[in-house]
Amino acid sequence: MTRVLIADDDAHIVRVMMIWLTRFCYEVFTARNGQEGLDILRKQPIDLILSDMNMPVLDGVGLARAVREQLKLDIPIVVLSARCDQQNLVEELSKYRVQVFPKPFLPSQLMEEINRLIPSPAAEGAGA
Amino acid sequence: MNRLLATLGRFLREEEVPRWFGLTVVLIYLVGLGAVARFGIVQAKQESTEFFQQGHDYAVRLLAERIRSLDDDVPGDERWTRTCQRLLKDFATNVPTRSARVIGNRKFLASLDPADVGRAAGERKSAESRWDGLDVATLPPADGQPEMRWVRVSVPVRRGETHAEFAASESESTGEETPETAPASIDVEVVLPMAPVDGHSLAAYASMLSIALVVLGALFVAYRCLREQLRGVSRIANRLELHRDRIEDNLGLLRISDQLDGVTRTWNDLIDLTERLRSAVQRTEANEELCRVLQKSGGGGAIAEAVNALPDAFVYVAEETRFEFLNTAACRLFGWSPTDAKRMTLNDAASNGAGGKALELLRAAAQSEGGFEPRSEIVTVDDGLNRGTSSYRVSVIPVPGTRHQGSCVMIARDVSQQIRAEKAHEEFIAQVTHELRTPLTNIRAYTETLSSGMFEDPKVTAECYNVITKETRRLSRLVEDILSVSQLEVGTIDLKIDQVDLKSLLSEGVRDVRGIAEEKNIDVQLVLPAKLEPIRADRDKLAVVVINLLGNAIKYTPPNGNVVVGCQMAASSVMITVKDNGIGIDASELAKVFEKFQRGSNPEVQKESGTGIGLFTAREIARRHGGDIELISEKGKGSTFMVRLPHVESRASAMSTVS
Repeated sequence: MTRVLIADDDAHIVRVMMIWLTRFCYEVFTARNGQEGLDILRKQPIDLILSDMNMPVLDGVGLARAVREQLKLDIPIVVLSARCDQQNLVEELSKYRVQVFPKPFLPSQLMEEINRLIPSPAAEGAGA
Repeated sequence: MNRLLATLGRFLREEEVPRWFGLTVVLIYLVGLGAVARFGIVQAKQESTEFFQQGHDYAVRLLAERIRSLDDDVPGDERWTRTCQRLLKDFATNVPTRSARVIGNRKFLASLDPADVGRAAGERKSAESRWDGLDVATLPPADGQPEMRWVRVSVPVRRGETHAEFAASESESTGEETPETAPASIDVEVVLPMAPVDGHSLAAYASMLSIALVVLGALFVAYRCLREQLRGVSRIANRLELHRDRIEDNLGLLRISDQLDGVTRTWNDLIDLTERLRSAVQRTEANEELCRVLQKSGGGGAIAEAVNALPDAFVYVAEETRFEFLNTAACRLFGWSPTDAKRMTLNDAASNGAGGKALELLRAAAQSEGGFEPRSEIVTVDDGLNRGTSSYRVSVIPVPGTRHQGSCVMIARDVSQQIRAEKAHEEFIAQVTHELRTPLTNIRAYTETLSSGMFEDPKVTAECYNVITKETRRLSRLVEDILSVSQLEVGTIDLKIDQVDLKSLLSEGVRDVRGIAEEKNIDVQLVLPAKLEPIRADRDKLAVVVINLLGNAIKYTPPNGNVVVGCQMAASSVMITVKDNGIGIDASELAKVFEKFQRGSNPEVQKESGTGIGLFTAREIARRHGGDIELISEKGKGSTFMVRLPHVESRASAMSTVS
């Protein structure tokens, strides 16, 4: 089972990605901010992190930094950001080997990106 | 020495040497020269005349000798006379003879044929040898003839056989038998010009004239050169005269030697000193000019006062390091007291952070080599503690037309507000972008979910429609908010004044926010008097005020809190209150919350999304109605917003609670 962690303070985004990811047979864990995401990561092996950039308590950059430096995990991280124009932010994220995905996004395109990073566990299920 | 200098200065004070002076000098010179030339020429002429006459005398003697040596014939004899006449003619050929005759025994023995005089003139030759013993007299000038000389030479003749022949020939020629003895001597008389003919003296006068012309030309050139020289001298003299007192003072300090090199040194020193004095005077002039400008119009330094009243710091630097003028704001900027400032120079340090940086800029500009372009920079300094940063726009502008390269004006304007506003505006744009993108992201994501056709579960479909509807509404509300801010900003908002029933207005407001309040389990209560009179206002705009205040209260109130909406009517106004028990606002930020695009700085505020326009809009609307919004708040305990609106009709009202 491929496990995906979604961290976003916008419940609608979490919900729509959950709909799509479960449709492609990913196992989904949700968090409302970076800190909750870290808590889950400590308890649970995760294959991919899908995170929002702006979140209360701990934002996308903080989460990525914690994953790379504290948890020493080398899993793919995708960060959704409405502020791709902020060059310094993008640079900092690339330092932690983070894929930045611009908002607004199309779920199908995001799914393609996720599928490229970790192939869908149910490719045949998606094809059906 | 001093007196000499003063006299020299006075004499040469005119910018140019007076014309009469130059002309007089030339005239005197010319007259002198003419006299000398005249003297020289007279001398020369006299000498040449002497030579001329000596030559003639010699020739006459030669002639007489030749006549005497006519031994073969008796004087007066025909042959003798013929030979004698030939000799006379030969003589006239060599000497410009007027007339010539030979006399013996008081008789004319021979005379020069007048026809030969003119003919001989063309064939004159010079004499060969010298002779002595002449009888010379000067004949007065006849009509139309120059002064002549009468020259006679007596020569002895041989006696004897020639005597008879002489007598015979004499008798023959005269036709008389006169037994006279032959003359023992004969006289040769010649009339000659006194001096060389006029042609010679004309040439002398012409050469004198040409010499005079050359001399005159040379004099003219010399005069021009001299005048140029004198002009420089007179200029220096002018300056000397201007600064005489100072020069005299300084001269007292100088050791003046009578030796030439000492004088030269002194002179050079004087020129240097004059140069320094000149610049000092110019400096004084510049100062005076500034003072004049500053004290112009109405006297009493009206402009200086005006410049002092400016909020902008104004500094005038007249030369590299000296402040010519600092206004009050500039003293404040540099942290100097006005009395201190008079002593300060550009190289002194400012006691204020921003002033120091501004001073640095000014220093760099004023002391830059070869002038500078006007420059303008923003200087930002940390004011320390919790005063934040302040920014100054420092402009340094060279002052053209002044004699000093470093002359410039610095203006420093406090643009902290402006910079803060710009920063807030930038943040607002970023925030708006984010706020707009959030509902857009949801709308797009859910629309695609619907249109992908992969999710046919009716529950999912319904959810999608629900989210899309909600987010679309959120988006349009956001757009309206932003629009209303821009309208309020440019003042185009129009109030549609009408009767407004406050009860229904507030009830609708509470109903609109119920949804978000329930999400956080916040209780929203509406507490109204039993009877509320309608007021005159713009209903839609007032609804915005209510929604904004309610939304704000719910947003910054933790879950399970409560919000109370109330309304009170007073004699001339009506007061709508929105009270919450939320996070409250720090006293330092109370004034800031109503500012456009400003939001609280604490993390509890920052974590909530918002554009910082809700309260600004609410207060603007209240103010357009002639009212205002007041705020009472305590950090951690909650806030109460009170909207006061004017109300003409007033009646006592009772309080009642409506849930």
